[in-house]
Amino acid sequence: MRRSHEPISWSLFGAGGMLLAFIGPGLIVSTLLLAWLVQDPQALYATLHSGLQHPLVRLATLAVIALPLYHTAHRLYHGLHDLHITGPTWLLGGVFYGGATALSALCAFWLFTL
Amino acid sequence: MRKPWQPQQPRNWWLRNPAYRRYMLREATALPLLLYTLLLLAGIVQFSRGEAAFATWLSWLQTPAGLLLQGIALAAALLHAVTWVALVPKILVIDSDRLRIDPRHVLRAHQLGALAGNLGLIVATLWLLWPTGGA
Repeated sequence: MRRSHEPISWSLFGAGGMLLAFIGPGLIVSTLLLAWLVQDPQALYATLHSGLQHPLVRLATLAVIALPLYHTAHRLYHGLHDLHITGPTWLLGGVFYGGATALSALCAFWLFTL
Repeated sequence: MRKPWQPQQPRNWWLRNPAYRRYMLREATALPLLLYTLLLLAGIVQFSRGEAAFATWLSWLQTPAGLLLQGIALAAALLHAVTWVALVPKILVIDSDRLRIDPRHVLRAHQLGALAGNLGLIVATLWLLWPTGGA
């Protein structure tokens, strides 16, 4: 019997769901607040730039992007099944989980080459 | 030869029952949350391209489309947070001989954690940006 990918995809889905529940609404309120709070984008850029020098901050930023990507990919993948939209597993799995993986890898590249 | 079972179920099975509609609404929160995550990812790309590009991304946040996306994503994130935390004690069952925790405590801990995480993040943003905003 082939080994299932379910434990890995569900772990990433669970981690992303937990992260979104714990900081999702607060994060969105924060980016909404940016519009009113930031009069000087250069100062914010400098603050973020110095913060992102620390590898742990880069790792945390990667988690905030990658885990929600896997979480939403998993839900939308299974949501298509609920809506009776079917297709080859390799294609749908490739688009959703492959897409989340590719975007996460790109995000890691952009973050760690700053 | 694999012979998958073909379900005899109408495509709109979830429209009739309010519980199924709530389930589909909960699952649908993933779409705005995905789009919002892509908006954040765009922010990282713009940030990596320098100061001017980052300022452009900040202005995207304030366009009507950006505000609409963030508004819908905020509603989705709130619904996600409430439904997710409510499910945690059903999935995270701590009931072994060595450690036994009442599901009500598991629920309460996650409710407090989510509240502290979200409010803490907003307070941290305000605290970090208030001086630069005034300058």
